[in-house]
Amino acid sequence: MTERRSVAIHVPVLARVEGEGALDLRIEDGDIAELRLRIFEPPRFFEKFLEGRHYTEIPDMVARICGICPVAYQVTAAQALEDLFGVELDPWARAMRRVFYCGEWIQSHSLHIHLLAAPDFFGCGNAIELARIAPDEVRRGLRIQGLGNELMDLFGARSVHPVGVRIGGFHGAPSLARIRDMRDKLRAALPEAEALIRWAAAIPVPQDDQVFVSVATRHPTDYAIERGDIGASDGLRIGADAFDAHFIERHEPHSTALFSTYHQQPYLVGPLARLNLNHEYLPGAIRALLADIGFVLPSRNLFHSLLARAVEIWLALYEALRLLDGYRVPDSPWVPATPRAGVAIGCTEAPRGLLWHRYEMDDAGCVVNARIVPPTSQNQARIEEDLRLSLLNFGLDHPDDALRLHCEKVIRNYDPCISCATHFLRLNVER
Amino acid sequence: MSRVRILGIGSPSGDDQAGWLAVDTLLACGMQAHREIIVKKLDRPGASLIPLLENASWVILIDAMQSDGQAGRIQRFSQKDWPDYNQGLSSHGFGVLAALSLAQAMASLPARLDLYGIETGSTAHGDQPGIEVRSAARRLACAVAAELNVSLSF
Repeated sequence: MTERRSVAIHVPVLARVEGEGALDLRIEDGDIAELRLRIFEPPRFFEKFLEGRHYTEIPDMVARICGICPVAYQVTAAQALEDLFGVELDPWARAMRRVFYCGEWIQSHSLHIHLLAAPDFFGCGNAIELARIAPDEVRRGLRIQGLGNELMDLFGARSVHPVGVRIGGFHGAPSLARIRDMRDKLRAALPEAEALIRWAAAIPVPQDDQVFVSVATRHPTDYAIERGDIGASDGLRIGADAFDAHFIERHEPHSTALFSTYHQQPYLVGPLARLNLNHEYLPGAIRALLADIGFVLPSRNLFHSLLARAVEIWLALYEALRLLDGYRVPDSPWVPATPRAGVAIGCTEAPRGLLWHRYEMDDAGCVVNARIVPPTSQNQARIEEDLRLSLLNFGLDHPDDALRLHCEKVIRNYDPCISCATHFLRLNVER
Repeated sequence: MSRVRILGIGSPSGDDQAGWLAVDTLLACGMQAHREIIVKKLDRPGASLIPLLENASWVILIDAMQSDGQAGRIQRFSQKDWPDYNQGLSSHGFGVLAALSLAQAMASLPARLDLYGIETGSTAHGDQPGIEVRSAARRLACAVAAELNVSLSF
């Protein structure tokens, strides 16, 4: 007969997540007595920094919030302010915003798959160990990541904290020669992305069926990235301005990040949530591929998140190539904007999920107050819920190291923006 | 494609510009005119360093370093000096050693890789690089040019 043991696992520093967090797990008499994902990074006060700033400064300022997904912050802010100011982007700028955003999805997803998540599933401590047993796959991943960076650089002048976006469009337009070169690279990368999907689909993952609500932006004609309403898997469909009527942020004593709930329950944002809600908007070629590999959507297994990212890499390459077909250099890459007072609200799909911005603006075009709801805080309650359910499904009688690794895998499924080190759990066990 | 690359790594913070300064000296003195040599400044490239090592026969990497030495001290590291990289890799804090270790694991290192460090003093944000580091960067640029058999025109 198995003894029902008591274990306390304290992870003082969560690495491989942007910022500083920790995990506390206490098992008593074979049951989970305590499970908390603690985010203890000090607040960064970005919203406060924005107060008083002119609207022309906002895209560059919010790009500084994240080194991995600056485009998401820029495009969401621009979308919100353009909507308030009544700015209608011309078709060129609208299409190129999506292309720019695709670059970020490509680099962020590939980085996460190859450097952060995949080593777990091959028994490797980090990507270096993975590279020893799968050098071609890691090299391919870095090539894809590099192409995403190039695409961001094309429209943003640099891939980290780019500076290309302005209210009304872009500061500049790439030359036809650069676009031709990029199109060749995107075309060459599509088969690589297909191979990546097949590789990701072949990675054995735990079977972990959970019930949760998926939330993502939705668009009537596109797989939503840079525009759309907010939708949920229970049928909700609202404009971004109705976010507060359905989603609530609250403080929890153990976290400096806010917890979000949807109708008082945790919810999922990110690649798997997007695929769950928007898979019918995937191009036919990728739907055929998914059928071929047996990836059935919607999925209730968060361990499909790595595969979901691979699928979105393919999609982003495809979309960028499609939108750059017939590229022309516009007469002007931007249209003028005239500020007005009011409340600007926007939402887009950052690589890690729904990103929502709200700015109250005065009539001089300066920020009175700002509020930014990033994906990781929205996923925080879901991560805790997932850890609990997944650990129970996994079994609590496993050795401490196996429990710790399982927790790490679960957390990494969400690609939380609390990065630092691959195997982030420093384990103290109390018996 | 060029088979020789000189890469200066840095950031805008004080003496952390050491690698950039060395590359600036090389560029100012006409090194780029040699078509077979690529000279580049990189700002904390992380994993993006790896593709720049591929398909090259000789890469010269110059970065700032911090030890207990005097600012401006130049040290050349051979591969046997690299410590084992046993930390986790993350998207943040992905440094030169992590990139080189990953490239090594994939057999993506060039046949010859010369890694130079220039000891830093202050690396405070907003500081200008100190005189010791400026002078060391110039000395190292001359040494690199001599090794490549290229005369620099000052």
